[in-house]
Amino acid sequence: MTMLFYLAGAVALISTISVTISTNVVHALVYLIISLLAVAVIFFVLGAPFAAMLEAIVYAGAIMVLFLFAMMMLNLGQATENEEKAWLRPQLWVGPGLLILALLVQLVSVLVTQRVDVVPVEVGVHELSVLLFGPWLLAVELASMLLLAGLIAAYHLAKR
Amino acid sequence: MTFDQMMLLLPLIIVTATPVITMLMVAVKRSHAVSCILTASGLLLALLSLLIVVRYPLQEVTPLLQVDNFNIFCTALILLAALAVTLFSYPYLCNLEDHQDEFYLLIAIATLGALVMVSSTHFITAFLGMETLSVCLYGMIAYPLHREATAQYPMEASIKYLVLSAVSSGFVLFGVALLYAQTGTLHFNDISVGITQGIADGPGSEYFVVASLLIITGFAFKLSLVPFHLWTPDVYEGAPLPATAFLATVGKVAMAALMMRFLSVSGVLDSPAIINVLTVIGVLSILGGNLLALLQANLKRLLSYSSIAHMGYLLIALMTIDSAITGDGSLGGEAVSFYLTAYVIMSLGAFGVMMVVSDSAHERDHIGHYQGLFWRDPWLAVIFTAMLLSLAGIPLTVGFIGKFYIFSVGVETAQWGPLAAMVIGSGIGLFYYLRIVYRMITPLDYDDPLPVAGIRDVISHGILLVLLVALVVLGVVPGGLMLLLESVVQSL
Repeated sequence: MTMLFYLAGAVALISTISVTISTNVVHALVYLIISLLAVAVIFFVLGAPFAAMLEAIVYAGAIMVLFLFAMMMLNLGQATENEEKAWLRPQLWVGPGLLILALLVQLVSVLVTQRVDVVPVEVGVHELSVLLFGPWLLAVELASMLLLAGLIAAYHLAKR
Repeated sequence: MTFDQMMLLLPLIIVTATPVITMLMVAVKRSHAVSCILTASGLLLALLSLLIVVRYPLQEVTPLLQVDNFNIFCTALILLAALAVTLFSYPYLCNLEDHQDEFYLLIAIATLGALVMVSSTHFITAFLGMETLSVCLYGMIAYPLHREATAQYPMEASIKYLVLSAVSSGFVLFGVALLYAQTGTLHFNDISVGITQGIADGPGSEYFVVASLLIITGFAFKLSLVPFHLWTPDVYEGAPLPATAFLATVGKVAMAALMMRFLSVSGVLDSPAIINVLTVIGVLSILGGNLLALLQANLKRLLSYSSIAHMGYLLIALMTIDSAITGDGSLGGEAVSFYLTAYVIMSLGAFGVMMVVSDSAHERDHIGHYQGLFWRDPWLAVIFTAMLLSLAGIPLTVGFIGKFYIFSVGVETAQWGPLAAMVIGSGIGLFYYLRIVYRMITPLDYDDPLPVAGIRDVISHGILLVLLVALVVLGVVPGGLMLLLESVVQSL
């Protein structure tokens, strides 16, 4: 399991870096899907199979495919690729990169010095459903009204 | 959930059913009048259902919602304000070259969000309520964007509100996550317990102060307190008047009530660091709001800056409310509730007058539009003057009693800094409120005909009359409301 965790983590890291540095938008999106799938594996290893499934189905499956279709319909050609290449000049990212490196060093040193043993506890679909449809039922209902509001607003603003 | 608990949620259930029924009617046949009447009657029905609610034992309904007297009072205030905005919207939206029905759906759902906010004792419901209110407001602010001539202003306002509201929600979430990491609970009640334990054996009190400050920052964004106020004037100016009025009344009441409950139940106010930060925010809001309002020629912008100052006054009282841990019977809660009531009456009145003389094609929001109003339409001018005098805090109006209440609370708790700011701020405020009154007296030398009050304006004028009566009655004999609020706040 530990092997799987580190493997998925490495895949997530590499694919996320590829998202930021790839100049072709469609390639970037495909890398993003891989990154989300890798995060889903991490969720699974940490004992949240339901969250892993949702991540794979909803994010990687539904939303990213929608993104991909929208991007393909926009038909971004060589011009945007050149634009992206122009934005990736070193003088634009070296400064922020160094700052983030400093933060990374801090984070790693904290993680190395503080030994916290994480014991994964599996939270299955059953436990989650008991909570969602028991004491938290009202939250589910309210979330549905929130989505309805978003739907109505989006319908009105986007029509024509 | 028992039957008793279901009955306690009756207003929420009715307000949820309202947009659903209205939507079904829209699916059958679109009719502006039917949508407006359905929404208004739904809100009215929810208001009347409060009479049933008080017959049942008030209690916590699931861990997420709390129904008590304070909640019932705020629910009534929000429903009244939403009802007034709904009725004001009808004549305003009549000449919109677009479908009007969705606006009423959004009003109803936004009201639901506000009602959830005032009854939540749990971060899940507090956050869901805040987001429901905000998402509806994005739509309401950008509503007239299909009119080519004026499309860019509502769009700009809506995007500004979208981005900043999302950022403030992010602050709240980050703070909630930190609190959760420390206390392991999302319930306001348990936070105070968790905090005392956390200070004893956890990562220390600084951690908790940071978390609470992040949450308060998010709340301050929504209440548009200085230095988190930058979005306010642009959003007020760009939004159509009914959306502005809704944001300024329902939005502020819901947020202030949620903040009051959070501050009082969680025991956050026992930390001197938090009190210091709130004091600085309050003083800055009072001075900043009043100074920035001084030279505004646009009434929406002026009222937005004045709302910043008013929320600053409110913060003085908010700082003194009873903490759940060390309650000592301060007047703070009553002062906050009274001031919110007064603020709703005054802003609804001021925006109401603007809505009556405006329509969606032509908004009269410049100070020049009101020149000579005393001769052109004495009745509206009298109401507008009364509302402005009340906002300025002149005696015999409800605004004066509200300010007096806050002042006495401030003296009681010896907050001399904020009180000095309040005196200076009120002095500055007098100038820009009276400037509008002066412009209304100055005769107009050219002709700018106001829309003639037709049959469909009868309701709007009726609401304005009710607001005027409430303003004067509560300003002259506030005793009844004060007694009511005393019992309301005790339940908190």
